[in-house]
Amino acid sequence: MIPLLILTPLILLAALGAVWKARPVHAALLLALTLALNAILYLVLSADFIGLIQFMVYVGAVAVLIVFSLLITRPGDEAEEIARRPRSLVTGLACSLPVLAVMLFIVSRFENAGQAVADARSVSIEQLGTTLFTTHAPAVMAVGVLLTAVMIGAALFAREPGKKTQTPSDS
Amino acid sequence: MTPLAMLLTLSSLMFTLGLLAVLTRRNAILVLVGIELMLNAANINFIGFWRYGPSDPALTGPMFVLFSIAIAAAEAAVGLAIILMVFRHTRSTDLNKLDSLHG
Repeated sequence: MIPLLILTPLILLAALGAVWKARPVHAALLLALTLALNAILYLVLSADFIGLIQFMVYVGAVAVLIVFSLLITRPGDEAEEIARRPRSLVTGLACSLPVLAVMLFIVSRFENAGQAVADARSVSIEQLGTTLFTTHAPAVMAVGVLLTAVMIGAALFAREPGKKTQTPSDS
Repeated sequence: MTPLAMLLTLSSLMFTLGLLAVLTRRNAILVLVGIELMLNAANINFIGFWRYGPSDPALTGPMFVLFSIAIAAAEAAVGLAIILMVFRHTRSTDLNKLDSLHG
């Protein structure tokens, strides 16, 4: 319980920074921090393997990809962003606070019905792998197809249009 | 407050922050940042329910998170590729300037 009490405000602060910081690179780095703290949360909740995957995929790949995209696109100065912040913030809060209220209401209702399970539950990688490749084998194959399609699609999108790729016979 | 209720509250707040980022940010890449936050909030719920819910030998919670992470990575890759393509065309990632379909 105590690690949860420490981690929860840290995650929320980092997420708030990722949303609030006007400079895009700072926001992206704070997102990386949020994702890393999330991985630690999974480790604390004894989902070790998921924590490691979260660290490798999210912090190692997604966050770094976002930082690199920011470096490539060179976003404009943040003064403009700060100038129009009050108006967009009012709209944003008006839309998101009702959502938060509904979710917190549901959580408060839920608390009365459910009670915490005290047993230390953990999952071994062997157990996870066995379930993954027996019960969920079709889903693994579907994800494999999806990732292949995404790889080809992303390469197509990112390719410079009208530029012929150099083959060894050209040179 | 039980640990599960705390995790659910954390995930609600994180989801709201992500939604706020999606609604208020003007840079397309920072909108993606908000989407990542929302996806992570959902993952916290899965792990929380698995850890503190009734015993589940099929490991549905961790499995769902594994697949969710794989799909989120794919989404980020395609999203950023699209944003880079838009940037090549318009020299900007500002969503307010991408209004050529505006009537």
